[in-house]
Amino acid sequence: MNQIQMSQNSSFSLISTKKIIQMSDVWTSYDSKNFALEGINLSIDRGTNYSIVGPSGSGKSTLLKLMNGMMIPSKGIIKIDYVTPQMNNKKFKKMMHTIGYIPQSLGLVKNISVIENILLGSLPRLTKVQSLFKKFPENEITEAKRIIKLVGLSGKEERKVYMLSGGEKRRVAIARALMQKPTILLADEIVSELDNVTAREIMELITDAQKTMNLTAIMVHHDMQLALEYANRVAVIKEGKKILEIGVEGDNIVDFQTGDMTTQEIMEMYSDDA
Amino acid sequence: MTPKNNILIGIIIALLVVASYNVDANPIDFVEGLPNLVVVLDEMVQVEPKYIPTAIWAMFETIQMAFIGTVVGIAIALPLSMLAARNLNSKFVYAPIRAFLAAIRTFPSILWALLFVIMVGSGAFAGVLAIIMYTIGFIAKLQYEVIETIDSDPMDAVGSIGVSKVQLITYVVIPESASHLLSQMLYMFDYNIRQTSILGLVGAGGIGFYIINYIKFFEYGKAAIFMIVVLVTVLIIDWISVKIRDKYIIKSQHGMEVKTK
Repeated sequence: MNQIQMSQNSSFSLISTKKIIQMSDVWTSYDSKNFALEGINLSIDRGTNYSIVGPSGSGKSTLLKLMNGMMIPSKGIIKIDYVTPQMNNKKFKKMMHTIGYIPQSLGLVKNISVIENILLGSLPRLTKVQSLFKKFPENEITEAKRIIKLVGLSGKEERKVYMLSGGEKRRVAIARALMQKPTILLADEIVSELDNVTAREIMELITDAQKTMNLTAIMVHHDMQLALEYANRVAVIKEGKKILEIGVEGDNIVDFQTGDMTTQEIMEMYSDDA
Repeated sequence: MTPKNNILIGIIIALLVVASYNVDANPIDFVEGLPNLVVVLDEMVQVEPKYIPTAIWAMFETIQMAFIGTVVGIAIALPLSMLAARNLNSKFVYAPIRAFLAAIRTFPSILWALLFVIMVGSGAFAGVLAIIMYTIGFIAKLQYEVIETIDSDPMDAVGSIGVSKVQLITYVVIPESASHLLSQMLYMFDYNIRQTSILGLVGAGGIGFYIINYIKFFEYGKAAIFMIVVLVTVLIIDWISVKIRDKYIIKSQHGMEVKTK
């Protein structure tokens, strides 16, 4: 039905089984004058690791919020797996269950334990009665324990979140997102406040999960080096515009947007902006 | 000191004088009345120990009234506070609830007690109803203010999973505001015991009923026993609530390390 609707809007060219996220000429504004994003075109392949890099205030976070329906564009078309991300769109509301979103602040509930935070990811799968009486089914608890082990928090299940270190808190946030059984994982500057070693540990963790669970990871970064190291593709955003789309192939950085920039030019260009 | 401040202080002093004149607040009367206090105190010292069991029983009744009032009041106040929070509801929901709560708070508990004495007759039940009403108005306001100031990030993050509003309240809002709630419950219970002690003035049961009657008949010695029992009880409850606060609330609010088993 959704496809029929789209063809009526003559935007069926956006449909692709390979692409999970597509944005076409997307504009957003917080007020009528200033635009946070200006004419963004983006298409992200299913099952890849995609990064968005740019200086503060460039509109990176806005871009992520468009993908989970927390914001809607003032102009342009967005499709997440063929569906328009809007809270009042029933089809998207169901899809939200499988979009893991980790905000920069992590959004953890501080006064409850690690496992309780992680179990929040399974809330959409609970029946009304189970949810009201906080009775999580045995299989969800088993799954939560499996994920706790996966993210390296074994033995800390019952710790309250406010007692954890910065790196551990990020692991909890990742675990909560994985508990959603996500197809898409969105993470906003998840490693920017961490030291280099911990940052890499967290990046490895996400990259492993992305590969084994075959999900699409879309991460916002401040650090170009880190993004290039882990992502298949990197979009560079500056002042609300996408200025580059690059990726590493062998020893070279390939410019997919214009196709005529060298590795050196690209790196210089970024260091000027940052 | 600027001239502007001087004018302001002058105005306040002038208002004080005018208001004192209007209400007959004369410091000389106060000084002249001091010997009367000595008479009362002298009689109060002649305590009659045989009234102590009655006083303790009356205090026990008072505590029970305050307990019922606090528990039932909070049970009703909590759902109302969820409906009154601006970050959880649309204007059409929170505006009428807030107006209703504001109306409840307008009356002090003693006026509620008067109203309920008329409704259900004098006695402890009228007092309990008064305490319930007061607790609803008070706790619901404190609690919706807490809910409105809790961190919006966990709400946004969990909300973006696509959970229902009831789930958001059960799993995020309540845990995030729980430590404040415990503190408010303790405070309210403490406060309600003191309040219930005076509701007897209008015939709504509790220890205040004895105190007012003994004072009416100039039996200050007997009244004194009852007042001392109130004092001691309030001090004990205060001490207990400080202990509970130290153990559960301070730690969770400041993120101090708690020993795990």
